[in-house]
Amino acid sequence: MRKILLSLLVLAVPAAAAAQSAEDIAGARIGYYRLLGHEMSLLAAMAKGDVEYNAEKAAAAAKDLQTLTQYSVSDLFAPGTSNAELPGKTRALPVIWEDMAGLGDKGAAYVSAVEELNGVAGNGLDALRPAVGKLGGTCKSCHDDFRAKDF
Amino acid sequence: MSMVSETGRGRAIPQPSIAAEGVPVWDPVVRVLHWALVIAFAAAWGLGKFGPDQMTLHFWAGYAVAAIVVIRVIWGFVGSQTARFTSFVKGPRKVFGYAREMTSRRPSKTLGHNPMGALFIVGVLIVLAMQILSGLLADPEDYINVGPLAQYVSSDVARQALALHEPLSTLLLAMVAVHILSIVFYRLYKKEDLVTPMFTGRKKID
Ligand code: HEC
Ligand code: HEM
Ligand code: HEM
Repeated sequence: MRKILLSLLVLAVPAAAAAQSAEDIAGARIGYYRLLGHEMSLLAAMAKGDVEYNAEKAAAAAKDLQTLTQYSVSDLFAPGTSNAELPGKTRALPVIWEDMAGLGDKGAAYVSAVEELNGVAGNGLDALRPAVGKLGGTCKSCHDDFRAKDF
Repeated sequence: MSMVSETGRGRAIPQPSIAAEGVPVWDPVVRVLHWALVIAFAAAWGLGKFGPDQMTLHFWAGYAVAAIVVIRVIWGFVGSQTARFTSFVKGPRKVFGYAREMTSRRPSKTLGHNPMGALFIVGVLIVLAMQILSGLLADPEDYINVGPLAQYVSSDVARQALALHEPLSTLLLAMVAVHILSIVFYRLYKKEDLVTPMFTGRKKID
């Protein structure tokens, strides 16, 4: 029994180390942004009229985005995880680590657009549309400066 | 082979008027499309680079460029003589022959596009088409500025299109710069005014 436990421990050590690899951090970061994309896809489909507006669902998606703003992203931007260090694995540009303040400004604009959206998402399509447009603009604005177009 | 007799309009023009106003070179469709292209291209470029983050206006300017390019290509097959690709696209021999004469300080007196200008025209129409296609397929993952055709291709292709769009816009800017510098070169060095005919349709030859 002890032998089995020990060998499990031996197996677990490299696994634990691997969980902190730069590639895994980049993967987690991509996962975080995919969640934003997931919520945005429903909101944008409603704003464009591809999906029928539903106050409850719109408010829920907006709320999820708000919840995600509570997540502290700083550890997702650990040093050594840019696309210069991990080519093909991430699109995070090295300029992020030279200009954390700039990234923070884009993040702040994004958070305030999420707040604005949460104020109106349940109030009908006419209220939702401009708020989704504005929020999408803050996604673009950060991607323009801090994300490569392709892997 | 005289361009004058083949433009159709030329036939109706009596001699004295030709001497006074020049000969017809560009039909109205060519002229309107050219200046519309200048405006739409400048709008698309400027709005893409410096415009608002919600890019609706950029998309409309891009569609305008697309419409102009499509009409110009069709006109290149069915339009007046000087507008047709078959009248100005020439093989390498003619292009090199013309290139040798470039440095002579004489007007070329070409009635229509010269063989080197033809290279630019075909090239810029192709790159414009690539620019438009890459925009139509691009998905910047902001969910508001998504090219309308991105949903029909894989996300890999949509990303590659996105990655091509900006370099293509830079290439187009460089091509246009060469285009405008060539026209300045003709005006100052070869003493030939190419711009007035693009407005009036007529070229004075002495
Ligand atoms: C503060 C900057 C910032 C903001 C704001 C931002 N993003 Fe991003 N986004 C990034 C970065 C950086 C990446 C690249 C992550 C990587 O590849 O490691 C990214 C990547 C993505 C991806 C690609 C994930 C993948 O599969 O590769 C999606 C989708 C995305 N963002 C959606 C959004 C949406 C939707 C919004 C707005 C609601 C948004 N982002 C706002 C910085 C931002
Ligand atoms: C203010 C800037 C510009 C000026 C003064 C200008 C001028 C001209 C002139 C004088 C010609 C005729 C050349 C000849 O005699 O053979 C021409 C042709 C042409 N130019 Fe421009 N141009 C400008 C901008 C542009 C831009 C921005 C584009 C494209 C993006 C463009 C695309 C073309 C094309 C495609 C032709 C061929 C016309 C045809 O046959 O339809 N030009 N231009
Ligand atoms: C000849 C026509 C066009 C020109 C000259 C042009 C030019 C540009 C330029 C200069 C940019 C900014 C690139 C950057 O700095 O990242 C841009 C972005 C963009 N264009 Fe165009 N464009 C054209 C047509 C189109 C069309 C037809 C579409 C879609 C239907 C389109 C969709 C986009 C999108 C989605 C972006 C944003 C890319 C991003 O967010 O990274 N464009 N374009």
